[in-house]
Amino acid sequence: MVGDGAVTTSDDKVLEYRLNSDLAAIAGLAEAVTAFLAQTPRIAMQVNLCLDELLTNTILHGFAGASGHEIAVSLKLAGDWLEIVISDDAPAFDPFTEVAPPDLDAELDDRIPGGLGVHFVRSLMDDYRLVREDGRNRILLRKNLPV
Amino acid sequence: MAISTTLETLADTSLLRASGRLDGSTSPQLEKNLLPLLAEPGSKVLLDLAELDYVSSAGLRIILMAAKRAKQAGGRFVLCGLQPQVSEVFEMSGFTRILELAASVDEGRGRLAG
Repeated sequence: MVGDGAVTTSDDKVLEYRLNSDLAAIAGLAEAVTAFLAQTPRIAMQVNLCLDELLTNTILHGFAGASGHEIAVSLKLAGDWLEIVISDDAPAFDPFTEVAPPDLDAELDDRIPGGLGVHFVRSLMDDYRLVREDGRNRILLRKNLPV
Repeated sequence: MAISTTLETLADTSLLRASGRLDGSTSPQLEKNLLPLLAEPGSKVLLDLAELDYVSSAGLRIILMAAKRAKQAGGRFVLCGLQPQVSEVFEMSGFTRILELAASVDEGRGRLAG
């Protein structure tokens, strides 16, 4: 069984969080991120949306909905940007090249669900990529912060 | 963190109020409570999101299904009371153009009466 929660660090510029591969665990991460980014609530909401979308993809598709896998999330405030890393041991998958973009201009009848989560990440983050390292997926995100 | 829904019936309109967090873990509950309201041909449904703090693409999927079902069955589906952070997600998705949105329950009821 994998527990959920923040890893204690002495650095207030860093949030390290571990969660079980369970959709219900994402709300707890969201609370921790909201507290960590309390000075910038709008950015906290945008970061939480991106984390939720990427973690939901990993849990439902990477782990086929199975709980019991640990996913590590870290947020680091570095000057005027925020660095985010999501690390999991699911099979290799790059959402930024393998997920088809949604047709945002389709009429209701033609609109098909899917692809919106990755679209949100592309829209809200300033940099996003997947690195495959030591048998793990590492999704790296970067968000510029208002000066 | 979860979602809760309450249902009222106003004349010929079903008013479903959703509050809390609409994400991958809670969207099945909205699906179960919302979609049956649109099963009857010509159904009118107003979904009040004034107390909804958060929506992800998993929640938008259910809302898209509801809008399609309403159209297919000759019914009406109107959403109202979107908070700014929820509205931002609808806008990024292109949903503000394909869905019927109202500012308040009263405005939504007015739309459905018309």
